[in-house]
Amino acid sequence: MAALTEKPTGKMTVRLVELDRSPERIGWLFMRLSGVAMLILAVGHMVIQHILNSSTDLTLQFVAVQWSSWGWKAYDIFLLWMAIPHGIRGLLTILKDYIHSPALGRIIGILLALFVIATVIWATIAIALFDPAMVP
Amino acid sequence: MQAKLKIRRFNPETDKKPWWGEYTLENVHRTDTVLDLLHRIKWEQDGTLSLRRSCAHGVCGSDAMRINGANALACKTLVSRLGSGKGDVINIQVEPILGLSVEKDLIVDMEPFFDHYRSVMPYFINDQPVPADGRERLQSPEDRHRFDDTTKCILCAACTSSCPSFWADDRYVGPAAIVQAHRFIFDSRDEGMNERLEVMADTFGVWRCRTIFNCTNACPREIKVTEAIADVKKAITSGKV
Repeated sequence: MAALTEKPTGKMTVRLVELDRSPERIGWLFMRLSGVAMLILAVGHMVIQHILNSSTDLTLQFVAVQWSSWGWKAYDIFLLWMAIPHGIRGLLTILKDYIHSPALGRIIGILLALFVIATVIWATIAIALFDPAMVP
Repeated sequence: MQAKLKIRRFNPETDKKPWWGEYTLENVHRTDTVLDLLHRIKWEQDGTLSLRRSCAHGVCGSDAMRINGANALACKTLVSRLGSGKGDVINIQVEPILGLSVEKDLIVDMEPFFDHYRSVMPYFINDQPVPADGRERLQSPEDRHRFDDTTKCILCAACTSSCPSFWADDRYVGPAAIVQAHRFIFDSRDEGMNERLEVMADTFGVWRCRTIFNCTNACPREIKVTEAIADVKKAITSGKV
């Protein structure tokens, strides 16, 4: 059949598919969604820190003022939850291009996952429990 | 016009490693194809030069090769597309496609490529009885349009062998196999979409695509390969075809 030159405008048949939930599929979706979230959060963070405020004013006192509000704490915690797993999964994706042994790939994947979990928990606790009153 | 060609040569029986053969051709026209020039070298200068070709008109997909660093069919690449020819001399570099082992000169082992092709079950699956009138299974123009682009593939491997993800790991099914899967997954008359999407959702399926777009640029049939891969990713994540 010859190629159709104009796109027909009627309704298409939509069929449902049942597939096993694979980690790859969830990981891919997370990378897309966290990428969109970071486009707002990371760019917003940069605008606030470096454009609306001068980089030279970025002191502990500045952070203390910002983190005296739970809104900003939540903003930074959410950014952290998106950024750390996104970056480390990206690293794993690149590493998997070079690691062809499934066993080694799994070990590195587990180590990186542990790193993500530890870093996210540790940093979340650090931000959540930050007490601006302790800053001189 | 004069053409100076550098061709990557390798004969496994005599060479330890590949080398560059240099050839000069006179009276080259801007309307000549790279395949025409390779033929002239083989027929007039060095009969040992080995290459695959069949129809010589961009239909059979035999002569995909790396021309001046980019994958293309030698029979569809005109000399005029490779530059204006400074001082009436044009330099052309020809190599075998990457990611598949070289058997001789410009001929690569296509078997791993066809293994991936076979893995997506590139044939019509429908166990339902044929329509009562014994004729074709009808389909609306809208449903036909969904996979129209991916019916154009000629299996030349220009896309798969231009993909850095495939170079890094040849277990990745590659763009060509995904294009073939797309052609059947989005065909409303076909009933094998679950099996094909399971192959596509595997670790070495569509997730290995990093949307680099080399495949789309390389396709001699101008198939929107990256878009087809995105369609399959979307079908897997949404559960809708």
